[in-house]
Amino acid sequence: MMNTEAKTHSIDIASMQRDNRTLDLANEEHTLKVNNLKLYYGDNEALHGIDMVIPKNRVTAFIGPSGCGKSTLLRCFNRMNDLVDGCRIEGEILLDEKNIYDRAVEVAELRRRVGMVFQKPNPFPKTIYENVAYGLRIQGINKKRVLDETVEWALKSAALWDEVKDRLHESALGMSGGQQQRLVIARTIAVKPEVLLLDEPASALDPISTLKIEELIHELKNDFTIAIVTHNMQQAARVSDYTAFMYMGDLIEFGVTDTLFTNPSQKQTEDYITGRYG
Amino acid sequence: MRVSFTEWTKSGSPWVWLNAGAVAICMIMVIGLLSLIAVRGLGHFWPADLVQARYTENGNTMVMAGEIVEQEMVPAAQLRDAGVNVPAGMDFMQRDLVKVGNRDVGGSDFIWVLDEFMSERNQPDMMFAAERREWGNFYGYLRGLKENGKLVASYKGYQKTDEYMALWNNFQTRIERTLDIQEQISDIEKGTIGSINYKLERLRLKQRSLELKGVTDQSRYAEIDDRRVELNAEYQALQQTLLDLYEGFNRDTLVAETAAGQIIEISLGKVVRAFLPNNMSLGDKVGHYIAKIWEFMSDEPREANTEGGIFPAIFGTVMMVMLMSVMVTPFGVVAAVYLREYAKQGFVTRLIRIAVNNLAGVPSIVYGVFGLGFFVYFLGGNIDDLFFPEAKPAPTFGTPGLMWASLTLALLTVPVVIVATEEGLSRIPRSVREGSLALGATKFETLWKVVLPMASPAMMTGVILAIARAAGEVAPLMLVGVVKLAPSLPLDLNYPFLHLDQKFMHLGFHIYDVGFQSPNVEAARPLVYATALLLVAVIALLNLSAIAIRNHLREKYKALEM
Repeated sequence: MMNTEAKTHSIDIASMQRDNRTLDLANEEHTLKVNNLKLYYGDNEALHGIDMVIPKNRVTAFIGPSGCGKSTLLRCFNRMNDLVDGCRIEGEILLDEKNIYDRAVEVAELRRRVGMVFQKPNPFPKTIYENVAYGLRIQGINKKRVLDETVEWALKSAALWDEVKDRLHESALGMSGGQQQRLVIARTIAVKPEVLLLDEPASALDPISTLKIEELIHELKNDFTIAIVTHNMQQAARVSDYTAFMYMGDLIEFGVTDTLFTNPSQKQTEDYITGRYG
Repeated sequence: MRVSFTEWTKSGSPWVWLNAGAVAICMIMVIGLLSLIAVRGLGHFWPADLVQARYTENGNTMVMAGEIVEQEMVPAAQLRDAGVNVPAGMDFMQRDLVKVGNRDVGGSDFIWVLDEFMSERNQPDMMFAAERREWGNFYGYLRGLKENGKLVASYKGYQKTDEYMALWNNFQTRIERTLDIQEQISDIEKGTIGSINYKLERLRLKQRSLELKGVTDQSRYAEIDDRRVELNAEYQALQQTLLDLYEGFNRDTLVAETAAGQIIEISLGKVVRAFLPNNMSLGDKVGHYIAKIWEFMSDEPREANTEGGIFPAIFGTVMMVMLMSVMVTPFGVVAAVYLREYAKQGFVTRLIRIAVNNLAGVPSIVYGVFGLGFFVYFLGGNIDDLFFPEAKPAPTFGTPGLMWASLTLALLTVPVVIVATEEGLSRIPRSVREGSLALGATKFETLWKVVLPMASPAMMTGVILAIARAAGEVAPLMLVGVVKLAPSLPLDLNYPFLHLDQKFMHLGFHIYDVGFQSPNVEAARPLVYATALLLVAVIALLNLSAIAIRNHLREKYKALEM
């Protein structure tokens, strides 16, 4: 049982690398564009003018030492930083050529289009079914047939369906950490966002669960644009198409993952990935 | 093995002993308190043996009979000072408190006698005790029964014989018959006639309101008059039924002889129950005891609250606490949600929190004064002016009542609910809120669907604390709605069923009233303990149900392991 499972979730690294060889930012469609983004916590400038793009249907990884601003940047993409007192933003982020920081933008609607999964699994104290259906109910979708279909689709997409299909109406809090995290991913994709933001999604999980999440990311990029923050450089190398290296609130280097890891153009990047600091 | 003092101190043992000792003292005090009120209160309902004796003091002799309620030792010197001839060489004498009953004959229910001076002490088998609707208990010998003034059965002599038991059984059957009629009478008087009176009063108010509005359409007045005539006819018919019932009710009379040999007659309509305490088996006594306790919990008070039950007080207490919870919970929760979730945290919110916390420390009587001044006179007065002008000058809400009492207590306990709810809200992990927001929920949806359900156990904790505080309050209630004796329950079958404007009875106030305002202190004292025990039980029951709800919620929204 254990063996077969491990086998089905192993990653075909060779095929991923084959894909990567043809990658080039210039050929990509851009879902998100970041233009000279500055972020302040009070008087403290945490991001110093970031310029980058998040390519469509690709996985973009953010790496860098703790406190470099990678999570902060990720949280800018769905305006989660709005919740932080004293947080202020300059510059713009374009989603489909529209600035998400525009006054006319409905934040709830934006967050529906740009979903986010957090470091620690945060299921609601409801049943598994209700957790996944939550986002739909918020949108006023209460038809049982639609909900049933979407819940099944989302759980299948999150590779969780087989494990939970018999206990959909039990509390989600009884699941293991890895299952909870996949449930949170299922919950997020159930509302069919365009962009999926993953903030260190596997850092609180055991290796097998981590493997499953990575496999899942690989599957999901066909339907979603994914941005992932990770502490684990091997993970970034395994799952991402593009990688951004950040340091002290600056974007140091951004490019095709393979190139960045094998032939970094910046000295700081090289120092970091060879483990000289971080 | 010897351990030096410093080592013993270092080991922490003294600290453990100190803590354990404090806990032990608390436990002993709580258990002691409960057992004291339980023993004093519940002992009252046990049918005590009746003792008859000849009592000689300073040459005066009398025959007396009754229950010995209490015994104490008094110094002989004190008695000598009071003019009692105490035999020389005695330092202390035993003094007994005897419940002799027969207040209509002897003037007082209780007398103190010196144990030493009693002679020919015996427990006559055929002496009976009768609980009456007025004049307290009667103790004596059954001598005969009269129907419409004619003697139908009688008995002489002091020995218990079959003949006496036949008379006794005849007596019991007649008591039952009278009680039956009594029940029918009270059904008609309180139920049907009460409801007719209520309807008549509403008609009067309706007419008055039409007059005040200047309606000149005579057909509407005629309608009211028709209805009134109808009700009056109904009333007349009932009046006739009542007269017949009363005739039957007053048909029988018992003839009895007191211990001192006086013959008196008592209408059976006055007797609640009669029994032969010295002739009861243990089983009989237990049955009697249970019946008495049931009466105490389910019946209405008699004789200035010193006899009968306290059901209206239990009902009033529970009703008031429930209304208070219904008012305080939404109010406190909404205030806490604003303070914690919406208000900008800063100097002002800190100030408000301090104010709220201090509000919990204001003496409750101050709330009573506020409730009287603001709720009753100002709010109630204005409500009367606006909505009940037809009832004027009699106030409807402009007088103390159930609603104002509940509202005053809600105000008194709202800080507790606010503090508990805020505490609960602050414990909801940020990650759960973010999870909801990240799915496109607005702040309100997040609050309503995720945060508030998760905080509901904390809200229940607040409600539990509020109930514990409110159920025990008496002082403010005296100003805003509690009375010594309420003519009817605040909940009945007359529209609108729940009468928020009515005054009500309360266990706490009942204790005060029975204990300190009673004309018959000796008779009332055990009831103070019994009522106190019941108050504790009611509060415990209310709290336990709230705790059960909270535990259910806790299980449902088990805190996340984060």
